[in-house]
Amino acid sequence: MPEIRVTPLGAGQDVGRSCILVSIGGKNVMLDCGMHMGFSDDRRFPDFSYITRNGRLTDFLDCVIISHFHLDHCGALPYFSEMVGYDGPIYMTQPTQAICPILLEDYRKIAVDKKGEANFFTSQMIKDCMKKVVAVHLHQTVQVDDELEIKAYYAGHVLGAAMFQIKVGSESVVYTGDYNMTPDRHLGAAWIDKCRPNLLITESTYATTIRDSKRCRERDFLKKVHETVERGGKVLIPVFALGRAQELCILLETFWERMDLKAPIYFSTGLTEKANHYYKLFIPWTNQKIRKTFVQRNMFEFKHIKAFDRAFADSPGPMVVFATPGMLHAGQSLQIFRKWAGSERNMVIMPGYCVQGTVGHKILSGQRKLEMEGRQVLEVKMQVEYMSFSAHADAKGIMQLVGQAEPENVLLVHGEAKKMEFLKQKIEQEFRVSCYMPANGETVTLSTSPSIPVGISLGLLKREMAQGLLPDAKKPRLLHGTLIMKDSNFRLVSSEQALKELGLSEHQLRFTCRVHLHDTRKEQETALRVYSHLKSVLKDHCVQHLPDGSVTVESILIQAAAHSEDPSTKVLLVSWTYQDEELGSYLTSLLKKGLPQAS
Amino acid sequence: MESAEDWLVESLRLYQDFHAFNLSGATQVLEWMGDKGILVAGYESLKKNEILHLILPLRLSVKENQGLFPERDFKVRHGGFSDRSVFALKHVPDTRLLVTSGLPGCYLQVWQVAEDTDVIKAVSTIDVHETEGSLWSKVAIFSSAAPGVLHGVRLSSLKVVDLESQKTTYTSGVGDSELLSSLQVLDADTFAFCCTSGRLGLVDTRQKGLQGAQEGACSPVISLAPAVKVAHRKAPGFDGMVQVYDVTSWDGMQGRVDPLFTHRGHIFLDDNGADTAPLVTTHTWHPDKPRTLLSAASDASLHVWDWVDLRASC
Repeated sequence: MPEIRVTPLGAGQDVGRSCILVSIGGKNVMLDCGMHMGFSDDRRFPDFSYITRNGRLTDFLDCVIISHFHLDHCGALPYFSEMVGYDGPIYMTQPTQAICPILLEDYRKIAVDKKGEANFFTSQMIKDCMKKVVAVHLHQTVQVDDELEIKAYYAGHVLGAAMFQIKVGSESVVYTGDYNMTPDRHLGAAWIDKCRPNLLITESTYATTIRDSKRCRERDFLKKVHETVERGGKVLIPVFALGRAQELCILLETFWERMDLKAPIYFSTGLTEKANHYYKLFIPWTNQKIRKTFVQRNMFEFKHIKAFDRAFADSPGPMVVFATPGMLHAGQSLQIFRKWAGSERNMVIMPGYCVQGTVGHKILSGQRKLEMEGRQVLEVKMQVEYMSFSAHADAKGIMQLVGQAEPENVLLVHGEAKKMEFLKQKIEQEFRVSCYMPANGETVTLSTSPSIPVGISLGLLKREMAQGLLPDAKKPRLLHGTLIMKDSNFRLVSSEQALKELGLSEHQLRFTCRVHLHDTRKEQETALRVYSHLKSVLKDHCVQHLPDGSVTVESILIQAAAHSEDPSTKVLLVSWTYQDEELGSYLTSLLKKGLPQAS
Repeated sequence: MESAEDWLVESLRLYQDFHAFNLSGATQVLEWMGDKGILVAGYESLKKNEILHLILPLRLSVKENQGLFPERDFKVRHGGFSDRSVFALKHVPDTRLLVTSGLPGCYLQVWQVAEDTDVIKAVSTIDVHETEGSLWSKVAIFSSAAPGVLHGVRLSSLKVVDLESQKTTYTSGVGDSELLSSLQVLDADTFAFCCTSGRLGLVDTRQKGLQGAQEGACSPVISLAPAVKVAHRKAPGFDGMVQVYDVTSWDGMQGRVDPLFTHRGHIFLDDNGADTAPLVTTHTWHPDKPRTLLSAASDASLHVWDWVDLRASC
């Protein structure tokens, strides 16, 4: 029975470490390889022992697919490939390929330099890992090998994020990764065609979340920024180079224009450098509006937003600054933070998750006194705001996506089936699918009935039709033919045609059976009795008495002979070709019952 | 939508906090369960409706350092299915039980919110013995060690039923067939009723019938903010809005009174593009935050807003 098996890897039920193993059509694929940001020990990695048990990783796994650059989806990749030992291909989109190593290196620096962790992957390992990457384009079918193919779909969420379809023959699985169904200011919404996969894999947390609207999140951001500059304060927004910064810049630009505000907005030089570098990557991945506006210009060319100069940090008066890096762990954003932290009028807005060990993480935990280098204590009097801008789908979003793809089954990760009966029932009812919720380490097995298309030759079809009965879906009929499999093609042809195509000669097969009868008369008379008997019984068949004394029924030959030792016994030799097996067997049992007495 | 953008910019001045959500189905009920969860329920006919227990996002439920909590989304903690439309839902305090009233069928449904799973399960019913099929019972809960369910369609059918034993502990015993529009329990022995005619009364259940009832006038959709003397009224003709009034300043003169604040969010943020604006179906006050309201509308929107008291900002 063909089946698809899915196992989410890792211990615990926490969201924050995506890594899913899928077995389909004899192929094994790993979907994402994320790190759990909350743990400092091995609990941060997925539980790879499930795979390594099976022997050599590279032999077992056909490929690894990474959906996007967030560390909870790719953070464990260098560990997996360089320390656990996987040498096979790693697939991801181009922007993911470009941005992943930067985030991994940043993370590595913080873990090793700031937290002093040992047994962490090195910079060289990150480079070696990325050498195994094969970049894919949207909607491009990529042949991993003769049987396994994958295709990336636009997921929205962050730059380069993709949903992946994994296909072997007629069986397929779609993995959504993180996605959103409503476009934002710089990215579009996820989209997939009606690919009807056997299984759609997505996050259970989406289904149980009712999200605050994007407008309200933006409103909160604008309100905080506006209030701060209105009272003469400065706003620091630490950002990673791309994506979120773009979104917030567009938002502020629009608002400043509308309200005719005068306070200056800056972005740091670190941003512009990286921005132009990613420009070519960025454009195909943005939404239509961005493309129209920025296709001719530098994408950080705004009317109200200017390039930052270090000296500006000391200028009096209100201002807003976007600076890297995003977690305040080094560089320009940290420098500015140190200058502005002492005033209650100022504000720092953290738009994303900060890794443990960074200043960002400390202030978001509520710490108001920070120990800096040289044992200097920095008192944080400025307002600290933690805002979430990441675009995720919700229950409604899942429904939309399922409506687009039309899967047969849905599988939700990071949830516990025992605790989620209502959710399971809701999904099954709403989408008329089966819903699975495996715990980490638990395997879900789906039986599939893949349909294999077979072409029937015209000659064979005509022969069947000539028998008079039209095809009826409710009454399956037995069709004799020869199945020829050639070049991933299946054809059903008549035996004669098959023999001709394959250049084979046909063998004739004939069965012979002996039936003993008690009859004292001569063979010829016995034969005549047989003929009369069969003629009267087999009204639908052609029964003939040949001049040489033998009797034929269709192709079946019956000859009477005397028994060598017992003259009162006659032996009937019944022989037939294999094509007439049914009739032959019937005749034999009929004759074994004996002949009627002649009058 | 241009007007939505305009309203949003205006909202910076009008509201401290503002959150807008879209439920999968519109609700006519907003009932608190503890101070961190609310219950909503669908009211569509000929369809399975959902009863949901939603947990407030941290940003709306923490009392301090709100800025350090980025979570702004509701979590569906429990859910159940109702074959009927739900028009009223009450949580029985200090229990995991809910009582709903709706149509079709004249009975109240009792539900249990599970502890170890996410299920809200129907466990029993309370008969109402109302012969008119198109009317539904109003409901209120007497909370005590032995909770009682106050219910009725008309004054004549007002009853209190013990939840566990299902024995009737109070009947109005009057023949007056005026239709009820709402019931509110005030303490262990008294409740207020409001009729569709506007008639208001207070009843002491220790006395038979409606003795002790005091007559007044009420509008069916007043709610009083806990701990603050401000009332909220949804006026007919202003059905897409929620208005806040300060009753402490009323001196009995029934002239025109201006609202302290008007929430128009449901009209301006309506993404459905339908010709008719959505109607506000229900509202409730946040138990801890004096100026925070939750309001729901017929387009399945749910707003949580904290209005700015413009008098105080001078």
